[in-house]
Amino acid sequence: MTLIALHELTKRYPRGVTALDGLTLDLEPGIIGLVGANGAGKSTLIKILLGLLPPTSGKASVMDLDVRTMGTTIRQFVGYMPEYDCLPPDSSATDFVTHMARMSGLPSASARERTAEVLRHVGLYEERYRAMGGYSTGMKQRVKLAQALVHGPRLLLLDEPTNGLDPAGRDEMLALVRRTGTEFGIAVMVASHLLGEIERVCDFLVAIDAGRLLRAAPLGSFTERTGVLAVEVEEGEASLAAALTARGLHAVADGRTVLLPVTEDAQYDIVRDAVADLSLRLVRIQPRRQSLEDLFRDEVAATPVAASPSSTADRPVPPAGGDGVA
Amino acid sequence: MSDPSVPPAGGAPTSARGPGGSIYDLGYQAYTGPRLGRRSAVVALFTQTLRSSFGIGRGGRAKIAPFTLAALAILPAVLAVGFASLAAQAGAGGSLSDASPIRYETYSGLVGVLIMLFCAAQAPELFGRDQRYGVLPLYFSRVLTRSDYAVAKIGGLMAALFLVVVVPYVVLFVGRVLVAPDPVTGLTNELGQVPRFTLQALLVAGLLGGLASLIAAWTPRRAYATAAIIAVFIIPPIIVAIVGSLTNQDLARAIVLFSPGDVLDGSNAAIFGSIPDSQVVAALDLAGWVYVGAVAVEIAASVGLTVRRYLRIAA
Repeated sequence: MTLIALHELTKRYPRGVTALDGLTLDLEPGIIGLVGANGAGKSTLIKILLGLLPPTSGKASVMDLDVRTMGTTIRQFVGYMPEYDCLPPDSSATDFVTHMARMSGLPSASARERTAEVLRHVGLYEERYRAMGGYSTGMKQRVKLAQALVHGPRLLLLDEPTNGLDPAGRDEMLALVRRTGTEFGIAVMVASHLLGEIERVCDFLVAIDAGRLLRAAPLGSFTERTGVLAVEVEEGEASLAAALTARGLHAVADGRTVLLPVTEDAQYDIVRDAVADLSLRLVRIQPRRQSLEDLFRDEVAATPVAASPSSTADRPVPPAGGDGVA
Repeated sequence: MSDPSVPPAGGAPTSARGPGGSIYDLGYQAYTGPRLGRRSAVVALFTQTLRSSFGIGRGGRAKIAPFTLAALAILPAVLAVGFASLAAQAGAGGSLSDASPIRYETYSGLVGVLIMLFCAAQAPELFGRDQRYGVLPLYFSRVLTRSDYAVAKIGGLMAALFLVVVVPYVVLFVGRVLVAPDPVTGLTNELGQVPRFTLQALLVAGLLGGLASLIAAWTPRRAYATAAIIAVFIIPPIIVAIVGSLTNQDLARAIVLFSPGDVLDGSNAAIFGSIPDSQVVAALDLAGWVYVGAVAVEIAASVGLTVRRYLRIAA
């Protein structure tokens, strides 16, 4: 089954803004990351998949059902977590999620059972009987996820699920999304402008920019090993580089790390021995992966792959072509 | 999903046995129960709207205004029945006196303001809340369509208003039957009024509910919506009166059809065969069916425009 199929999907808003521009894409079930800068068209795509917005031209189908004609059927099996606040402050989480389950066509008794279950799943306990106006952002995001799950969807569409969360809350939400996708066996599409987050959650990545597809590929292929080993030491990286070069490796010092190409396992031993001989304090030895950020830049501007900082966490998607679009 | 270490959806329950008993982790169970679909969702939204029109399911304070207004609307009927039964026991008369100011044909005018206040208090909450707090996308991403949502909401408010309007009529009806010297004669005498007051209650609930829905759907801010609803009922009769007294009656006859309180006064007089409460309306001397027709058209228009609002609203 094709989970989501798009063919030349285009959406233009009345004021001439083109949100999606000829998007063609086939996605299989899994945890799919939808990544792009703010305004890249992520929310528009999700709303079209839900049938909330009509496409201007082209085709979109979810679970082989056309979004234009089969919207009601699609929505029965899709859960949606919007980007923005959507919770009435005077309702309790229990009442609200139960009501939303009823709005998906669940019978009253099932709605109540499912509500108790999903609220437990997202980690909301005693506080679920209190009015949501007093909830923290983290709790609100959990309720938003719960209402998207309550009717047992086969596909979850999550629009910036970590919006407004602090780092700890973000970690928890990402773990929850990951667990939801794997444990429930339901497909998840997570939209985010933060590559570091997407990387931790998804199996498959779709990158869009200005409504056009940049790349759609399994996460692994985005972050293939480059065959470069990064050795990080607390100090003495210059002497380490020299020592390694002396032992026949092409080592280069780069900040606090020493980078060297590795082709065989024996080279790891050489590195270990060199560090031990120099009595350096070793922080880590790590195969250098291409960072998502670099790949993004490559896709857009076709600049050569360079050795780059390994951490991409929480860094926004770089603007296309390096022209400072926020 | 690609991770082999993770159990499949709805995976086998696992249990851990401790000294004090067992803890069962049932895992997450995929929902396999019934999905009743769109119709069920619409009915559920209608019911929820009807209940929350009276503040049911919304906490104590939300119940004060609707229940007070509903009680005030019933009060005259209860008083009329009470006095009539006292009078009957004292041998002063066998039925609710026709001299009583509280009769079927006067009731609509008597409680009109209360029904209008009920709309002004409740409609903004029913319609504005989902817009103010951004809940609409959650509805529209479910099985019901935008027009389903609008129709269920309008229907819920109209049903609540119908109850508030019709219950006093029913109290009057039951009272008159029971107070009559012979209940069977009482019943045959009164039965003819049932379709009349039912129709008038439908027109009142439909027009006030429809207009209040339309205004509230366009005015998410609660205070503004309340003020606008009150204004729509209070200002037009004044304009009709001024136009009627200053210029020709034809213009006033055209304008009166857009004054909710006055058309309902006219329809009430037509249905019960009485004289309109408003002297202005009486003086215009329009045929009764014109008022009934105008109310029907205005109900349809207000429902249609409210649905249209929800078809176009961004969500």
